[in-house]
Amino acid sequence: MLRMLLNRLAFSILALLFVGLLLFVLTRGVPGSPARVALGLEATDTQIAQFEKDHGLDRPVVEQYIRWLGQLVLHGDFGRSFVTGRSMNALLTETLPITLELVLFAFAFAVAVALPIGVLSAVYEGTWIDHAARIFAVIGVSVPGFWLGLMLIRFPAVEFGWFPPGGFVPLSDGLVAHLQSIALPAFALGVYYIAILSRMTRSGLVETLGSEYVRTARALGLPRGRVLWYALKNALVPVVSVGAMSFGYMFGWALIVEYLFNIPGMSNALLTAVGQRDYFTMQAVVYVFTIIFIVSNLAADLLNRQLNPKLASAQP
Amino acid sequence: MSVAEKRPLAEASHVMAALQRIWQGARLNWATTTGAVIVLVAIGAAIFAPLIAPYDPIEIAIENKLLPPSAEFWLGTDHGGRDILSRVIWGARASLTVSLLAVVIGVTGGVLIGLFAAYHSGSWVEQIVMRAIDAIASIPLLIWAIAIIGIVGVDSVDIGPFTFTNVHKLLILIGLLYMPTLARITHAVAQVEMTSDYVKARRVQGAGNLAIMFGDVLPNCLSPLIVQATLLVAIGIVVEASVSFVGLGVQPPTPSWGSMLADARNYVFSGEWWLPVFPGAAISLTVIGFNLLGDGLRDVLDPRRSTGRLLT
Repeated sequence: MLRMLLNRLAFSILALLFVGLLLFVLTRGVPGSPARVALGLEATDTQIAQFEKDHGLDRPVVEQYIRWLGQLVLHGDFGRSFVTGRSMNALLTETLPITLELVLFAFAFAVAVALPIGVLSAVYEGTWIDHAARIFAVIGVSVPGFWLGLMLIRFPAVEFGWFPPGGFVPLSDGLVAHLQSIALPAFALGVYYIAILSRMTRSGLVETLGSEYVRTARALGLPRGRVLWYALKNALVPVVSVGAMSFGYMFGWALIVEYLFNIPGMSNALLTAVGQRDYFTMQAVVYVFTIIFIVSNLAADLLNRQLNPKLASAQP
Repeated sequence: MSVAEKRPLAEASHVMAALQRIWQGARLNWATTTGAVIVLVAIGAAIFAPLIAPYDPIEIAIENKLLPPSAEFWLGTDHGGRDILSRVIWGARASLTVSLLAVVIGVTGGVLIGLFAAYHSGSWVEQIVMRAIDAIASIPLLIWAIAIIGIVGVDSVDIGPFTFTNVHKLLILIGLLYMPTLARITHAVAQVEMTSDYVKARRVQGAGNLAIMFGDVLPNCLSPLIVQATLLVAIGIVVEASVSFVGLGVQPPTPSWGSMLADARNYVFSGEWWLPVFPGAAISLTVIGFNLLGDGLRDVLDPRRSTGRLLT
C-alpha cells in the first residue's frame, strides 16, 4: 500500500514537472519577447536587451524553468509578472479562494442532490421516477453550464429579481448577499455533476441490489432500509472516485461560469492575462489549475484503491 | 483504467458484426434512434447550410435589428439584423467542424500510440509511452485550450503553404488533448488481443507485424473507440462553444453557437430572449444527440462498461 502510494505520488510529481516544462516552453516559445509586451512598441533594442538581461530572459528556457521552479518549491513563490509587475502570490491569494468557494459550493450541491436522485432512481427502477431521473441526467450532461447560467441570469435574476445578475459580494458584506451572489453560478456549475453522479449512483446501486448477497440478506429477513444502506455503501465506491475526479474538472468549467457571472476569481485573472498577453500570469494560473487537477486525480485514484481492495491487489 | 476494459471482444468477428449490432441495437432502442436522428439533422445542417439557411448569416441588415421571432424571421434577428435561424444553421458547421475533426485527430493519434505501445508490450518502450500519455492526461482540457489559444493568439498563422485559422488551431489542440484517452483504450484492448490465439495463428501463417496490428488487432479495438469517439464529439461541441464564448474560438463574423451566446450576453438586461435561447438550444440538442447515440452504442457494442462515465 505504501509502495503504491509512493509510486503514485512520484508519478504525480513527475507529471507536474513535465507539464510545467511544457507550459514554460509554450509561453517562452511565442515569437515576440515578453520585454516587448512589458516595455511597449517604442522601446529600443538596447532597452529590450537590458530588460531581458535583468529578468533572466536571455538565459536558455530550461535554465529559466529550473530557476522558476526553484523559487516555487523552495519559497512557494510564483514570482512577479513582467507585464503588470504584480506578485503572483498576491494575485492567487486574492482569486483562488473565490474560485475554490464556488467549486466547493457547486460540488456540495451536486453531491447533495445527486445521491438522493440516484438512490430513488435505483430503488424505483423502471418506474416513472427512474425514467424522469434518467431523462434529467441526459439533459444535465448535455446542457452547457454557461448557457444554463445565461438563462438563469435572464430569468430568475433579471426578470424576477430573485438574485443579483452577476458580480461577487464578499462575505464581509453580509452572509445573505454573499450566498445570493454565489447561488446561481454554483447551480449552473453543479447541474452537470448532479447528472453524472446521480447516474453513477443509480447504475452502481441497481447492480448491487441485484447481487447475491443482497438477495440473501433480504431472504434472511433483514429490514429493507438496512439492506439498502449496506448496498449503498458498496455501490458508492465508483461514485466516490468519480466524484473526486469531477472536483478537478469542475475548476475548468468554473472558468466559463465565472466569466459569465463576472466573478473575480482565477478565470478573471487568466482571461485578463490573455487580454494583456501577460504570459507570466497565464503560466502561473494555468499551473495552479493543473496542480489542483493532478492532486484531485491522485486523491480519486487513492480513494478508489482504498475502497476497492480488489483493484489494489490486482495492480501493485 | 478499469478491469472491464481489458476484456477482449468475444470473437474476432470484426467490423461487419459491429455494424450489424449497431443496426439491431438502434432498431430496438428509441433513445439511440432519437440520438442518431438529431446527429443526422445537425450534420445535415452543417453540410447543406448554404442551401437551407433562409438568409445570409453574415451580412449586416441594420434595418432588421433585434426583431423578435416572426413569420419572416422564425427565430428573430440579432443586433446586426442577421437572421438567427440562418446563423444557428451555419453555426452547426463551425461546431461540428471543430468537434468532429478534433475526434478524427484524437482517434488517429490515439490509435497509433496505443497500438505502438501494445506492440512493445512488456518492454520499457511501452512504459515510457504510457507514462507520457498519463502525464498528458493530467492536463485539464478546457483551461489549456484557453491558455494556449491565449498564448498563440487568435490570428491566422502561416506555416509553409498552409494557413491555420483559429478554428484549425482549436481543433488540433482539442484533438491532441483527446489522444491520451483514446490511446489508453486502444492500448488496453490491443494488449489483450496481442496474446490471443488468433494473433499467434496469424504469425504462424507468416503475417507481418503491420498486417497483424492494423488488420487484426485494430478492428477489435473499434467498438470501445467508436463509443468513446461519439461521446468526445459531444464534449468537443461544448468545449468549442465555451472557448468561442470567451472570445478565443471561432472569430466574428463567422457564426458559431458560442460566439452568438457571447453576443446575447450583452442583451441580457434588455429583454431580447431569443438571442440566448436558440443558439443554446442548438448546442444542447446536438450534445444530447451525440450523448444518446454514444450511450446507445455503448449498450450495444460495449455492454460491460459501466454507464455514467461521461467526464470531460
